Parts: sequence; C-alpha cells; structure tokens
Amino acid sequence: MNIKIIRFLTVLLGMVACGNTAQASFEDDEGCLICHKYPNMARITDDGARRSYYVMPEIFANTVHRNVPCRDCHTYIKELPHKPVDTGVTCNTECHSVKNPATGKPFSHGIIYDAYSKSVHGREKIEDGIENDKPYCITCHTNPLYNPKEEAPPKHVIDRCVLCHEDKKFAEQWYKHTSRRIKEVKRSSVEIVALCSSCHADEKLIDRHVKKAKDDNRTLGKKFPVAVKSYEHSFHGKLTQYGFTKTANCLDCHAEIDNYYKSVHEILPSRDQDSPVHKENRVETCKRCHVYADDNYANLDPHPTSHKDDNIFRYYAEKIYNVIGEIVIVALVGLSLFETIGRRRDGVAWRLLHGSSWRRNSKRGRDRKV
Amino acid sequence: MQLSKQARDILETSMRQNKTKEADRKDIEGLISALPQDRVLIYKNVVSNPIGDIYRYSVHIRIQHMLTFVTFLTLAFTGLPIYFFESFWAEPLNSMMGGVSITRVIHRTIAAVMIFSMIYHIFTITLGSIWRIRHGIFDIRRTIIPMYKDVQDFKEDILYFSGKREQRPEMDKFNYKQKIHYFAAAFGNLVMVISGSSFLFPEVWASILPESMASHFQELMRLSHPHEALLALLVIAFWHWYNVHLAPGRFPMQWTFLTGKITREHQIEEHFLEYLRNLVEVPEERETLRDMMESRELLSETDASQET
Repeated sequence: MNIKIIRFLTVLLGMVACGNTAQASFEDDEGCLICHKYPNMARITDDGARRSYYVMPEIFANTVHRNVPCRDCHTYIKELPHKPVDTGVTCNTECHSVKNPATGKPFSHGIIYDAYSKSVHGREKIEDGIENDKPYCITCHTNPLYNPKEEAPPKHVIDRCVLCHEDKKFAEQWYKHTSRRIKEVKRSSVEIVALCSSCHADEKLIDRHVKKAKDDNRTLGKKFPVAVKSYEHSFHGKLTQYGFTKTANCLDCHAEIDNYYKSVHEILPSRDQDSPVHKENRVETCKRCHVYADDNYANLDPHPTSHKDDNIFRYYAEKIYNVIGEIVIVALVGLSLFETIGRRRDGVAWRLLHGSSWRRNSKRGRDRKV
Repeated sequence: MQLSKQARDILETSMRQNKTKEADRKDIEGLISALPQDRVLIYKNVVSNPIGDIYRYSVHIRIQHMLTFVTFLTLAFTGLPIYFFESFWAEPLNSMMGGVSITRVIHRTIAAVMIFSMIYHIFTITLGSIWRIRHGIFDIRRTIIPMYKDVQDFKEDILYFSGKREQRPEMDKFNYKQKIHYFAAAFGNLVMVISGSSFLFPEVWASILPESMASHFQELMRLSHPHEALLALLVIAFWHWYNVHLAPGRFPMQWTFLTGKITREHQIEEHFLEYLRNLVEVPEERETLRDMMESRELLSETDASQET
C-alpha cells in the first residue's frame, strides 16, 4: 500500500482517537504523551522495518497494563527527551507502582519468566545467531492486549456493584480485571498447533538447528525435524484438523497437565527426565487420555513418518504397498483388455439380445447358426 | 462330444452323488455324446434369458452380496473424505453428510454392518458345506477353494485370449478369476476390520501384541487401511465392474446378483463343468438343451436314436 495512504489513514485514525481522549485517558503523570500522542511518531529502522511509537491513550486505558505507569516497564527512560532504546522492555521487570495484593511485593511476571528461562525455549530478549530462533514472550503472546468487549461493562452488573462499592470507576476496573480472568483464554488446539508450527514447521530454521547440533556434536530430538509434518499425518493431527478439541495437540503431551498455564512455559526436550515425553514418563502422559495405556502403548510412535532414517520399517512397507498397488492395477486392466480382445475375436457382441451375445461373425469361424 | 478326463470325472461324481437312475444316466450320456465336440458351437447356439436360466446363488449369498456392496461403497464414500480430509473434493462430501464428525459415525456404523455380513457369510458357507458333507453331495471342486487346476485354467485362458487355443478351458462353478476376486475381497475385508479395530481400540491391540511388534503393527495398520481401501476400490472399479457390467456379453449387467441365476451361454462358456452337473441335477435343462441343439441341427444321429 502506498505510504501516503498509510500516513493519511494513521493521521485520520489519530484524529478520531484524539477526539475521545477526554472520555477514557489514563494518568500520564510522567508526561510520555507529550511526544507519543502524535500519530506520526514513527520511523523506518536500518533493517527497513516500520516502527510506530504512537500511543493511543483511550486504547491503552483499556489494556491489561492500563494501571502500570510507562516507566515501570520502560525503566531505562531517565530523562526527556530520552536516549535511543537498546533492549527495550523485558517481561521480568518488577513494577514498582503495582503491588501484588497477595504478597504486598512489587508485581512482576518473574515466576513465569523464570520457568520459561529454564525451558528449552528460554533465551534473552536480544540474542544473536541461532538462539534468536527461540521464541521470546511476545512471539507467542500476540493475543490482543486490548479487548473491545471490556470497553463498556454491562450496566446491570455495574449498577449492582456500586450499591456497596460506591465508586463507579472502581467497579468498572474490577469488572474488567475479573471478567478477563474468568474467561477461557487458553488457545484452541488448532491455534496451538499453528503457533508451534510457526517455528517448528519452518524448514530453514530446522535445517539451521540440525546443522548446528551436528557441528556441536549435540543430540537433537529424533522427531525434531519432522515434528509438525508427522503430527499432521498422525491421528491426533488429523482429528485436530477436523476441529476436534479433545484430541491431543502439541501441549497436551509436551507440557504437564497440572498447572497448565505455568507448564506450557517450561517445555523440556524429550531427553530431559522431567519431560512428560521422556521415555520413563510416556505411559503416564498417554494415560491422561488413553486410560488403558500400558508400556507397549507408550511405544507407539505419535509422530509417524515414512522417512528412511526415521522409520525404516514403514519406509519399506510403504514401498511394497505401492508396488503391489501398481502391479494389481496394471494386471487387472491388462487382463480385462486381453479378455475383451480375445472374446470379441470369437464373435461376442456387447449385449445379450434375441437370446444370445454371440451374434457377430467371427474370423475364427464356428458362428451361431441363424 | 467326447468328454475330457476331468469332465468325465465331474459327471460321474455328480451322477453318483445325486443317485441318478439308470434311465437318466442313459439320457445324460446320450445327450452328451450327441453334442458337437466343439464347445464353442454349444454356447454360441443356445438361447439365453438375459436375467438368467440356471440356478447359481442361494438367497443368502444374494443378501450377503447386497450387504457387502452397499456397505463397501458407503464405507469408501465416507472413508475417503475422512482420509483425504484436506482435498478439495472431500469438503463437499463431508458437508453432505453433516460434517466430518458425522461422516466418522456413519463410517463406523456401516463397518459394523459389513462385519455382520462377513460373519453371516462364514456361517452360511460353513453350515452349507456341513449339510452337503452329511448328505454326501460335497465336492471340493465345486467350492471356491483354490486348486492347482485354477493355475492351468488361467494359463489356458490367456492362451485362448491371445488366439493360441480354440477353446476356453473347462472351468468349474467358480473359475480362477472369481477365486482371486473372492479371496482378494475376503483378505481385504479382514485387513480392513483388523486395521479399523486398531484405530478404534489401539490400547487393546498394544496390550495383546509383544512390545517389539506393537508400534510396527500400528504403523502397518495405518498404512494398510487407506491402501487396502484404494486397492479394493480400484479392483472393484476396474475388474469386478468390468466382469459383470462392461465385458462383452455381460453389458449392461448380469442379473445373477438379484435373480441368483446365470445365463445358459455364460454357464457353458465359463463354467462348463458346473453345466455338466446342471444336466445331471435338472432334467428340464437336458430337454431344453436337446431342443435347442436339435432346432439348429447340431445334434448327431446317435442321440436322435436314443430319444426314440
């Protein structure tokens, strides 16, 4: 799209947005909006990426982070105008302005961040080379921080709240906080598979990691290169594609089912003894759904492929099946043609009429007597 | 006509088993000796009713065929859009049945009917054979069991089709094609039932099999189910439909699957040995054949004298 059109639309959107600031703005005690209120606050990076630094106050006022002052996360901003930003926001920063009501300590995502850091996916925000392929928090947390449905809490609920909690604003904030957490925010199976596939189906990424592991003389999970493709061809994968929600998606096996929201952040490679897909833990993992699963059952390959390196048995089985199929087709079509020619030569007609199919004259003689 | 050694043996066995009386024996022998030596002349000159002349399949077999082909086609029709879920043609088929979740239920339900048909068939042929053995009329050559003769028949038939033989081989009630077909279907059915059950009850199969085999078995079954289905569909489409619908003389269709009867010309051409038994078992058939041959002046003098 033309850059001029984008700019025009941005300005237009900004103008519309500015018109509403009076209704729902957040407290800008730090004066960030002095600059960041301008829609054209943007630049093109050296890599050619377009970055917008425009903050829409009325949108931000409805996000989950609405009560967090800018500099609780953007801790590196010490003066105005501020210096160029290097790392930016990391998600384990403590928010000094927001207290955890349970502990009284400054709130932070530290617990989940630590869990993630210890997982196979853990990395620093700024990484070079192959580590950069791993996901950071925002790789997966792309879910909208702004939920338009929360913009206007239902009147009949708020009317009831304010009977005791007289402050309407407090009641609305509380409604937004609780309603978002009560709502199911777990991704659907299809979404989970799509999310994991965004990296694990990337062949270039896979090649990079396979090569690196080989160079480092490090073992990589046997199924790492074929994880997504083989899943898609497995029963679990097919059923997920059909839209069944009870079938295992990636996380149902690769994460612990207890404390789901935490465990999905601490996924471990199958060679780790704590991984639910480690050899020793597989039966229990299968039993989450397949209650009659035993050791034999846990040996079934959930990521089946016909690659020669991965499964030589299946590779040859498929070859043999294909050869048999081709032979049968050629043999049957051949025999049918042969039979048609042979019997036609002897004088058979296509249809049985007037009591006989042998009405034609044969080159071999011995015709039907008329 | 001078019967071959095999045909003579079949005829003698049939007459012995049916306790054919002396007068009938003479009648049969007379008719056969008066028939032209060239079998081609017989099947080319008889008159056949398109819907069939000679009894061949009991009502049980006809019901089983009906059940098998209805379930087979429904299973293919529901199974293929499940397996090839992402193909462009699968979506409308699944939608037609109410979505893939309904297609799966239909597939499994129809599979149960197919298994019933299979059991019904095994029951029928087992009890039928026991009954025949007890009544002394069992002849293994008259059954679907493959014999060495079938290999010879196949060779002879190929030679006939390529113009190197004057006659098609003398084949029994079930010829080599039918035997291959029957066992292909029986084997296919078994594979489909076993592999299908391994999808429905993977835990059961895993617990039965030794550890080293469990995974290989499951993988083989996952390959077998769609492969066997496609193979069966192709065999049905290319071969069975060719044989019963498209082959010259059978077009547009044989009515045997409904009437249980085969046409006279077909019986003599492809199942001559069974036709000999028909001559023993059905006296009316002897009369009919004699009249037909006589009207075309194909009976030799010997029989005419027998008749008077």
